[in-house]
Formats: sequence, C-alpha cells, structure tokens
Amino acid sequence: MSGALAVYGKELSTYFRSPIAYYVVSVFLLGTGYFFLYNIFLTGETTMAGTFQNMGLLLVTLVPVVSMRLLSAEYSAGTAELLLTLPLTPWQIVLGKYLGAITILLLITAGTLIDLVPLYLFGTPETTTILAGYLGFVLLGMASLAVGQLFSTVTHNQIVAALLTAAVLLGFWFVGHLQTFQASPAIRALFGYFSFALHFVDFIQGLVRSEAVVFYLVVSAIALTLSVGYLQWRR
Amino acid sequence: MSSSAVITLESVSKRYGSTTIVRDLSFTVERGEIVGFLGPNGAGKTTTMRMIAGFTAATSGRVVVAGYDMATQNVEAARRIGYLPERPPLYDALDVSAYLRFVAKAKGVRRSTIPSELERVSAACHLEAVLRQEIYKLSKGYRQRLGLAQALLGDPDVLLLDEPTAGLDPGQIQETREVIRAFGRDHAVLFSTHILAEATLICGRVAIINHGRLLAIDSPAGLERALDRTNRVALQVTAPAPALRELLLSVEGVRDVEIQSAAGDDRRLTASCRVDSGRDVEAAIARAVAARWNLHRLERQQPTLENIFLQYVKETPARGAAA
Repeated sequence: MSGALAVYGKELSTYFRSPIAYYVVSVFLLGTGYFFLYNIFLTGETTMAGTFQNMGLLLVTLVPVVSMRLLSAEYSAGTAELLLTLPLTPWQIVLGKYLGAITILLLITAGTLIDLVPLYLFGTPETTTILAGYLGFVLLGMASLAVGQLFSTVTHNQIVAALLTAAVLLGFWFVGHLQTFQASPAIRALFGYFSFALHFVDFIQGLVRSEAVVFYLVVSAIALTLSVGYLQWRR
Repeated sequence: MSSSAVITLESVSKRYGSTTIVRDLSFTVERGEIVGFLGPNGAGKTTTMRMIAGFTAATSGRVVVAGYDMATQNVEAARRIGYLPERPPLYDALDVSAYLRFVAKAKGVRRSTIPSELERVSAACHLEAVLRQEIYKLSKGYRQRLGLAQALLGDPDVLLLDEPTAGLDPGQIQETREVIRAFGRDHAVLFSTHILAEATLICGRVAIINHGRLLAIDSPAGLERALDRTNRVALQVTAPAPALRELLLSVEGVRDVEIQSAAGDDRRLTASCRVDSGRDVEAAIARAVAARWNLHRLERQQPTLENIFLQYVKETPARGAAA
C-alpha cells in the first residue's frame, strides 16, 4: 500500500504544479454553474436533475484531459523507466495513479456542492434524490477515468490517448440513443446495458439500482486490470 | 556462477520482432567491482541495462540480480538496484527535494530516515544548492546529477548507470567518477560509456559489446595483453620492397609484415610489422634494417584500449550475419 501511496502523492503534486488540474476544475465548475442557473431559471424547479444530466456529459468530455497524461506522459518524458524499475508492482502504479485522478474527480464534485446552497435556501429539494445523483456522478467518473487511464497506458502519445478516450467515452455515452433504431429487443437491451448515460439517468431520478452500481464498478475494474496486464505484458 | 556475483547474465538475448538487439550475452559483476560497458552507439548497451534493471524482460536466457531472477522477481530485486537510465528520469513539475522524497518512498526507505537519506545523496551529488528548485529549471549537469542521486537512494547493492557522465563539464565528470569509485568499493557497479579513457580510469573490468554480442571482458591491462595484434612496429625505409619483406620476416619475433610505398616514390616504403608482445623486437629490426638501407623512422605502437576497442569492433560481423 505504501508504494501506491507514494505514487498517489507524486501524482497529486504533479497535478497541482501543472495547469491541468486548475484548468479542469475551473472549466467544469464554470460549465456546471452555467447549466445550473440555466436549468433553474428555465424550469423554476428546485431540482438538480437537469444539471446532473449536463454534468455527466461535461465530465465525459473533460475526463480525457485528466487521464491522457497518466502513463503516456511518463513514457514520453522517460520517467516510465524510473517508475517501472522502482520496487512497485503494476497494481501499485495503476492504483496510485487512479486514486490521484479520482481525487480530482472528488474535488470537482465537491465544488458543485455550492449549487445546493440556493437550492436549499429557496426551495425544498429531495435530499435522497440529490445524494443518488452524486453517487451516480462519482461512479460514472470512476468508470470514465479507468477507461481513460487504460488508453493512456497503451499509447505513448498523450494526444492519441485523449482522442481515443474521448471517442470511446462518447460512444459509451451515446450508445443508448441507438436503441431507437433497433427492432430486436436483445440488441436494444444490449445497447441500453452499455450506455453510460442510461445508467446515470437512473441515479439522477433517485434510483440506486445495484445493476447500475455494479456496471460502473465492473467497467472500472476491467479497465484497471487491463492496464495492469499491459504493464506486465510490455516488458 | 561465482558466489559473490551480484549481477549474473546467462545467455541473455533480446529480440523485438525479427530484430535481435542482444544475443547470447553472459557475464557477471561482483560485489566491490566496477565494470565498464563499452560499445559504439546502437551496440545493445542500453537494452542490456534495461534488462538488468527490470524495465524489459529478456527474450531468452536468465538475468539474476542480488539473487533474484529478473523474469519473475523483478519487484523484489528492484529494492537492491539503483538505476540511472540514459535520459535522467525526472519529473519536471516537481522540485528537487519532492522528487527525491518520492523516489525514496517508492523504494521503501523508512519515513524517519528519508531526511538523512536526502541529505546523504544530495551531498554526494552536490545538489544542496538546488533542493528547492523546480526540476525544469535545472541545467543539464544538475539534471544528470539528480538522476544519479535518485539511483543512490536507499543504498542499493547494485548501481546501473547508463552513460552517467554524458553532458557534464570536466569538473563534474571528475566528481561523478569519484562518486562511482567510492560506491564501487563495496557495491557492484555496471556503467556504460563510450569514453574509453573513463573505462580505463575507474573500471576493474571492461566489457566490450557490439551488435549485441559480448566481444571481450577483462581488466583494461588484460585486454591489452590479450590482443597482441595491436602490438606493432612501424618503420619508414628507402629499400626495395621484396628484399625488405624478406629481411623483416627473418627477424625473430616478427609475425607478419605489410608494406606500402609512398606516392611517387616506390622505393620509399612504410612497413608495419605485427610482432610478439613483451620482446625487444624493435631493436632487432632497427639493427637489421639500418645495416643495409636508410632507416628514416621506427616506432613501437603500444596497444591502447582505443586500438583494442576498434580492433574488436571492426572484427564483429555485421548485424544479422549470425542471426
């Protein structure tokens, strides 16, 4: 565990000594603030539903910026040669880096809590629904970051990593929309099952379905395991 | 395998697809020994270093470091290895002390001893003045020495240095050699270089590698002794070529003779004789030649590591010939 913590500490220092963390946090919070005001004034309802929906899409577009550097920057700067020859197992490296990225995710999540102040001041929102929405948001972020980390692990070029991540995450986000064009119920169910967005909608509506929780966790676990596998295989 | 060997390579090969980078490499480095790894660019030095450091695995053969097989126990072995890659592996965004603290923690140095470890390595590598500086602001010399400092952290048994003096000024080269020499007294050091003088100065043994193959490994003096082909006597004489050849070959200790005539004057000859080492052959040649012709110049060419190196490298068959 101490090895993973050493990597985690290093990751956090690098995030905050480079513009990336500040960029991601400010873009996300500005975006969320805008959507929040827009949704509140448009609907006049004290709910986070619309805002969560926008936050999800915003997150999926910002994740590649956070995840692209995770390992590909190490390859291109030559630091991978240090990292992969230190007494660290691939799991310690992958988890330390993943936890660093999750910390950024939790930070932006915490930043949006400010939107709840006017919500509770001027209305009576449903607390459990909001909590479910936040849980879904964090799970969505975890799965997206794990996928992003996988692409950053398998390519030496940060831009390529970001583009691949964006393509795959947007694919996962919009795959649910393809349901409309399918006659076969099996394929419709399959598209629905793989949709990051459809699972997230359940949370926004206050539904914490174990199927959705498991889906996001399994996606994260598979992506992280593949990252570890790649690090072992590349030797 | 010697019992005190800290690094052991047994028939190690590395292939990428159909390209063989390192082939059938075997040697050992013992505790208290500094071995210089010598070869032209692209000879396979860096790949070999990477296999010993555990960054890449050998395609075949076995690499054992401090008793650990690098194929399966590379993480355990990594605790015993300090490695400075060819390009110092530095995180530009961090400052020097944050970087060293990260490496120390990752190497499992106990939290309570981290400050003293940092002090020790930064003193050894003369980094005290830049501890608070961000790494991207460092000069090339400091970057190289910071790379060396991280390798020294945690007092490893083995130090692997890939061209540690590249990019340093003469004063820094001197200091770095001192660090390596001091460390090598009770540890095992393998360092690559293409500066021959450096290898002669600080290495107990020198390994010469080209096209991924080990050509020789011995002490610098041993290599010089072993390669008497570079032991030559060169002379300039005005004489008929066939008669000169006959005379030179009749002198005891001369093995063969090459004769070239100067441009425009086919009686003014330059002869190069391969002679037995350790004998007073040049005096005999001088006496015999001067008695009959006009001897302009005579020189005994001692084997230098440079000659030996060039000789070995020239003789290696081109890559792929034996694949």
